Amino acid sequence: MRTTATRATADRTARRATALAPGLVVLCAALAFVAFLSVTLGSRSIGLAEVLAALGSLQSDGTITSTVTLDLRVPRTLLGILAGAALGVAGAVLQGVTRNPLADAGIMGVNQAAAAFVVFAITVLGVRGVGVYVWFAFAGAILAIVLVYATASLGREGATPVKLALAGAAATAGFGSVTTGIVMTNVDALNELRFWQVGSLAGRYAPILVGVAPFLIVGLVASLAFGRVLNGLALGDDTARGLGQRVGRTRAAAFAVVAVLAGAATAACGPIVFVGLVVPHVARFLCGPDYRWILPYSMLLAPLVLLLADVLGRVVGAPGELQVGVVLGVLGAPVFVGIVRYARLAEV
Amino acid sequence: MPTTTFSAPSPTVGAQAALRATRRRRTRRAAVVTTALAAVAAALFVVTMMVGSFGLTAVEVVVSVLHLREDPAVDFIVRDLRLPTATTALAVGLALGASGTIFQQLLRNPLASPDFVGVTSGAGLAAVSGIVFLQAGGLAVSGFALGGALLAALLMYVLAWRDGVSGYRFILIGIGVLIFFDGLTGYVLSRAQLFEARQAMHWLTGSVGQAGPEELRLLLGALVLLLPTALLLQRQLRALELGDDAARALGNRTELSRAALLATAVVLVALAVAAAGPIIFVALVAGPVADRLLGPAAGGIPAAALVGAALLLTADLVAVHLLASPLPTGVVTGAVGAPYLLWLLATTNRRGAGG
Amino acid sequence: MRVWRSLLAAAALSAVLAGCGAEAPSSGTPAGSSGPWSFTDGSGQVVTAERTPTRIIAHAGEANALMSFGIRPVGIYADEPVATDPNLKDLDLDGIEILGEEWGKIDVEKAASLRPDLIVGDWWPAEKAHSGLEEGVDEKSKKLAELAPVVGVSQGKSIVELAEGYEDLAVSLGAKVDDPRIAANKQRFDEAVARFKAAVAAKPGLTVLAMSPADDQVYVANPEYAPELLDLQSWGLQVINPDSPDPAFPYWENLSWENADKYQPDVILWDGRSFTPTANAEWGAKQPTWFQIQAARAGSVVAWPAYWLHTYGDFATELDLLTAAVEAADANIGA
Repeated sequence: MRTTATRATADRTARRATALAPGLVVLCAALAFVAFLSVTLGSRSIGLAEVLAALGSLQSDGTITSTVTLDLRVPRTLLGILAGAALGVAGAVLQGVTRNPLADAGIMGVNQAAAAFVVFAITVLGVRGVGVYVWFAFAGAILAIVLVYATASLGREGATPVKLALAGAAATAGFGSVTTGIVMTNVDALNELRFWQVGSLAGRYAPILVGVAPFLIVGLVASLAFGRVLNGLALGDDTARGLGQRVGRTRAAAFAVVAVLAGAATAACGPIVFVGLVVPHVARFLCGPDYRWILPYSMLLAPLVLLLADVLGRVVGAPGELQVGVVLGVLGAPVFVGIVRYARLAEV
Repeated sequence: MPTTTFSAPSPTVGAQAALRATRRRRTRRAAVVTTALAAVAAALFVVTMMVGSFGLTAVEVVVSVLHLREDPAVDFIVRDLRLPTATTALAVGLALGASGTIFQQLLRNPLASPDFVGVTSGAGLAAVSGIVFLQAGGLAVSGFALGGALLAALLMYVLAWRDGVSGYRFILIGIGVLIFFDGLTGYVLSRAQLFEARQAMHWLTGSVGQAGPEELRLLLGALVLLLPTALLLQRQLRALELGDDAARALGNRTELSRAALLATAVVLVALAVAAAGPIIFVALVAGPVADRLLGPAAGGIPAAALVGAALLLTADLVAVHLLASPLPTGVVTGAVGAPYLLWLLATTNRRGAGG
Repeated sequence: MRVWRSLLAAAALSAVLAGCGAEAPSSGTPAGSSGPWSFTDGSGQVVTAERTPTRIIAHAGEANALMSFGIRPVGIYADEPVATDPNLKDLDLDGIEILGEEWGKIDVEKAASLRPDLIVGDWWPAEKAHSGLEEGVDEKSKKLAELAPVVGVSQGKSIVELAEGYEDLAVSLGAKVDDPRIAANKQRFDEAVARFKAAVAAKPGLTVLAMSPADDQVYVANPEYAPELLDLQSWGLQVINPDSPDPAFPYWENLSWENADKYQPDVILWDGRSFTPTANAEWGAKQPTWFQIQAARAGSVVAWPAYWLHTYGDFATELDLLTAAVEAADANIGA
């Protein structure tokens, strides 16, 4: 039975591969187009010719159009691409490794944990600057993921979606209380936190990009190696073991990669929910259950969604801006509810 | 949940006698435990009014509250300053405890409390929006909170309504709604300049000290009205769920009773949130703690309500008096409640009953 | 226990009898004129007492104002820690009870033991409440108003009016405003205003903008809601009125960083709550468009005492800084 089913799946996957590879190219093109939009559209209206001229010169000449294009929009767009890819891939890896459709860094309390650690760093240790925040955000992210997953997976039926979500909610609430307790007595921390509370790409420039890019790039490259093992894990721990995988080690490595990706993205942009949750589902819908395809698709789809939402927020909110976290929250919540209502959650 | 699992035994004479004896034991245990809890809550209620910048004795507090003797100095402190806060803690605790256990029983999941299915967040978002965008204050904020909670509950009920309210889907959708609302609340706060956002922040941190007389009266009225209603509905529901065919034929009525009971719980939690802001975990914890104490008589709403009151009074004592710098009550319940929830998850899982 | 017991009795009595002035002035505090006392509150209500109040509890800035006229309150409640409150951080508060250091939280029990006969807090016309007793504060804090009558000068369109109002209040409370040490403040203020007007008149066409840069966007203050900016405007300084304040928060116009250069003032008035001598350079390094504002690039920035001034002395000090900035400014930096 199983062999037949597996072979059927393999055939389907092989057939799909011929369609999926060009799909990746199309996605790349779409991402390039949205990146172009992200550089040309914004709360300040700049003519296309001026943008192109600025891009062509590669070096800011001190005029406002050139500064906005090269120093604001380009780093912001690059960060959007990297952070989006990181969140999407982190979501896909988490869902695969936990075999849980609701596994998502945001749902697992990573954001609040990272925020609590950052606030602790600001108030108690007197730390300043994104370069240092990142490490605290990592620590928070790792702690949250391990804590939540470990708690949820105790017991016979393992980490069911409900238990994972609830443990995540508990972690969010607990870390949130710690954060509130600290910032209530510290105006500086409250100011930093307000900037942090809603995920945004605004105000993130070259220094932040340079600070987190190495982590994101390393994490993304590393994550691509997980396709095959995630496919193995999808068949169940025992089968995976039968296939010669070291399940425990795989899981630990996957969590480490997720913590790097989600931690760095959260450190740079604040809490951005739903991308990591929803995009892998879309990818799975497009390419079937093979993680060797799901991962690259998530890696391209997620920044596409993130950048689109960011551009939308910039255009809608002008002369101010609407944070991308809010746009995604408003658009993503119905999708989340849809997944819960209509997807057969047991199947990942 | 133990409340819904007992089934009608075969009607032999011996078994009937045994059943009667069990039922009597259960009633007695319920009475003893509830009375003891009431005593604890009352004691904490008095202790809350004894501490502060000036210590008072229990006798002084009781004498003043009951108007047995006039002593302007003590009366000002007790009746004007401490009694309203203590009453708020008591009432909010009762409401949260009752509403939490009702949610948990109806959804048959010890983890399904209103603060984790989005109801509290809905109330919070509505209230903060009212404060920030419409400069609302006082009863208007309560109105917003109530509206938000009802809307959130309704939204989830509608969204989760496929072949009845399945506890599992209800919770997941609730968590989605919760994240959604919390995100929007963060956005509303980030819109406010720091120095103008203080009222919203203050409200959002959850503290029993912020309830005004109107909100308190509203909550007390609701408690007097809704607690007995909830008890009646619960008794009716138990009878319907005992499993005989006649009751099964009344399936529609069961669903109606469940909806009514749920509505009671939503109103209670909404008014509690309106009075004290979002105070998390009390609703979650009260039911299971009460059930553990009640043993075979588990499921009693009064016991859960009293546990809620005792917990909140204790949290308030800790938050305001025991810590070096006073914190909002919600921060204390959150910091203590989160590990408890994780522990609850871990242990119920081990028994294989969670989720 | 015993000691405060008698204090409490008196406190509660004074609460009950507040406004009737039945309590004898305590010995030790210099009693002013002991005749009937009255003051017109910012709300328009006339508050009367049979004797001049001597035991005063005041909100932070108001306490600063009273102390500048030699009236020392017995208790102070503030919205932030005394160490950071611009009104209180440089004052000698020895012997004054601190009743609160967080907005919305006043220790009324302790306040009662001080047996106050007057509470002083600004009147906020929009909120129809005195400072510390607004909507949203702890319910307990509002009971402060039951201890004694509350009076305050109306917040609104001018710091000068505010300072004058507190001068009137202080006089009614027995302050000797002619005492050279006290009068010096007002004289210093008058001179500062004269210098400021002269400096402004010498720079026709000079424009300034009140700003508060933040990580996500730049906030531009709307002078309509900032009394000190209205004062500056009334003395001839062209403080730019932003053309589209946030409808929900008309205190500010929000600009994205892409639009940070929307206004080109000659001098930037930098929100004093976040101003430091190095702030301009830091933000220039952090935000690529900050130096697109020519005044910022030229370093033409000065602290703006945002929303806290209550006294002639503080205003004079701040005004002198502004005068120096105006004198040093180049009216051709901005557009």
